[in-house]
Amino acid sequence: MYSWDFSALQPYWGLIWNGLGTTVIYTLVTVAAGAAIGLVVGILRLNAARWLDILLRAYIEVFRCTPLLVQLVWVYYALPVLIGVDMSAATACFITLSLYAGSFYAEIFRGGILAVDKGQWEAGRAIGMRRGKIFRRIILPQAVQVMIPSLINQTVLQLKNTSLVSVVAVSDLLYQGSVITAASYRPLEVYTVIAVLYFAVLFPLTLVADRIEARMGAHK
Amino acid sequence: MNGQQRPILVAEGIHKSFGNLHVLKGASLKVAPGEVVTLIGASGSGKSTFLRCMNLLETPQDGFLEINGRRFGFSQTGAPPRDRELVALRRDVGMVFQHFNLFPHMKVIDNIIEGPVQAKGIPIGEAREHALDLLSKVGLADKADVFPSKLSGGQKQRVAIARALAMKPDIMLFDEPTSALDPELVGEVLGVISDLARDGMTMILVTHEMGFAADVSTRVGFMNNGVMAEIGTPDEILHHPKNERLRSFLNRFHANR
Repeated sequence: MYSWDFSALQPYWGLIWNGLGTTVIYTLVTVAAGAAIGLVVGILRLNAARWLDILLRAYIEVFRCTPLLVQLVWVYYALPVLIGVDMSAATACFITLSLYAGSFYAEIFRGGILAVDKGQWEAGRAIGMRRGKIFRRIILPQAVQVMIPSLINQTVLQLKNTSLVSVVAVSDLLYQGSVITAASYRPLEVYTVIAVLYFAVLFPLTLVADRIEARMGAHK
Repeated sequence: MNGQQRPILVAEGIHKSFGNLHVLKGASLKVAPGEVVTLIGASGSGKSTFLRCMNLLETPQDGFLEINGRRFGFSQTGAPPRDRELVALRRDVGMVFQHFNLFPHMKVIDNIIEGPVQAKGIPIGEAREHALDLLSKVGLADKADVFPSKLSGGQKQRVAIARALAMKPDIMLFDEPTSALDPELVGEVLGVISDLARDGMTMILVTHEMGFAADVSTRVGFMNNGVMAEIGTPDEILHHPKNERLRSFLNRFHANR
C-alpha cells in the first residue's frame, strides 16, 4: 500500500498557487477573446456573402478538426518560421487558445440564434422595430438562453485545455506540477493535488451554470 | 367598396415568387376606411402571402401598394424599399399571426409596450397606461405581469391583438388568427375581433371561419391561384357565388363541416 505524504509538497505551495493563477488567467483571457471572436464570426456567418462564409467556415473547421495540442505546437514552432516573427510561448498560447475557443463559440452563437423561431423576427418587424433592435432585444436574449449550457460546457473544456500550454513551457498549473515532481519525487501527491484543484475550480462553475439556467428559464 | 371614400389601402397587380414557385400572380385589392375584408381560399391560393405583402413582411416583385398615402412600387430590377420606409409603414399597420409570436422572455405588459416604446419612442409610463387599457379591452387586465407561457392559446392571441393595437395602427391584418387554437378557445378571439370591427377599425383577415366572415365582413374576397378571383358582399360571395372555383371551394368546405 502506497503511503501518502502530502507534507512533502510543503515547500512548493507557492509554485502551485502560481500555476493555478496562470491557468485561471489564461482561461479568463482566452474565453473573453474567444467569445468576442465567436460572437463576431457567428453573427457574420448568418448573413455573410458566399466568399466570406467559406472563409469563416474554413477557419472554424481547421480549428475544430485538428487537435489543440497540434495547433499549439504549430503556432509556436512553425508559424514564426513562416511569417518571420518571433513569438513568445505566452503569445502563441494566447493566440491559439483564443482562436480555438472562438471557433467553437462561433458555432454555439450561430446555432443559438438560428434556434430562435423566425416568427420572433416577424413579430418585431410587424411592430415597426429595426433589425438591430429586434436582434438585441428579442432574438439575442432568447438565443442566449438556448446557448447557456453549451457555453458553460465549452468554457469548462477551455479551462481544462489550458493544461496543454505546459507543452510549450508556459508555467500553468500542470507545468508547475511537472517541475515539482522533478524536484520532490512525489508524482502521486503532486498530480492528485493538481487534479483536485482543477475540480475545485470547475465544479462550482457547473453549479453556477445550473443556477443561471434555472433562473433564465423561469418563464418557461 | 364605398365609391366616394378614398381607399386607405390599394394593392394593385401584386406578384410574388419564392424561387420557382409563383404564388401571387397579380393580386389586387382596395379597402376603404372602416371596412372589414375577409380573404378566403384554398391553402396555396396565396391569401396569406398577399396579406404579408400588405405590411411588406414579404416584398413583392411587381405591382403597387399604397397604404395611408405611403406609396411603394415594385419591380424585378428596382431597389427594395428602404428600412426607414418599411419601419414607418409597419408602425401604421398592425399584424396578428396564426402562432401569436409573443415574446416569451417578456411579461405580457412588456410584450405590449415593446413596440410603442422601442419603435415609436413613447415614454414607458404612457405606454403602460395605454397597454393596461388595451388589456382590459381584450379581457385580460389581470394578466399584465405573467409570462406568455402561463396563458392559454386564446389568451395569447388576445395579448397579441393588444400588442398590435398598442401601435395605434390605421389597419389591422389578421393571418388565420384562430387556426392554431383549440375549438373552444376560438370564440373569445373572434369576440375581440368583432368588437374591433364594431369600433370601426379597418381590418383585413385571412380566415377559415366562414360564419364569422359572414357576420363581421363588409366584403369577402375569394383568392384562387394567386389572384383575387371574386370579391363582394358576404351574401354575394358565400351564398351566390359566380366563380366556378369558388363554388366548388364552398361545397368542399360545407362537406367537411
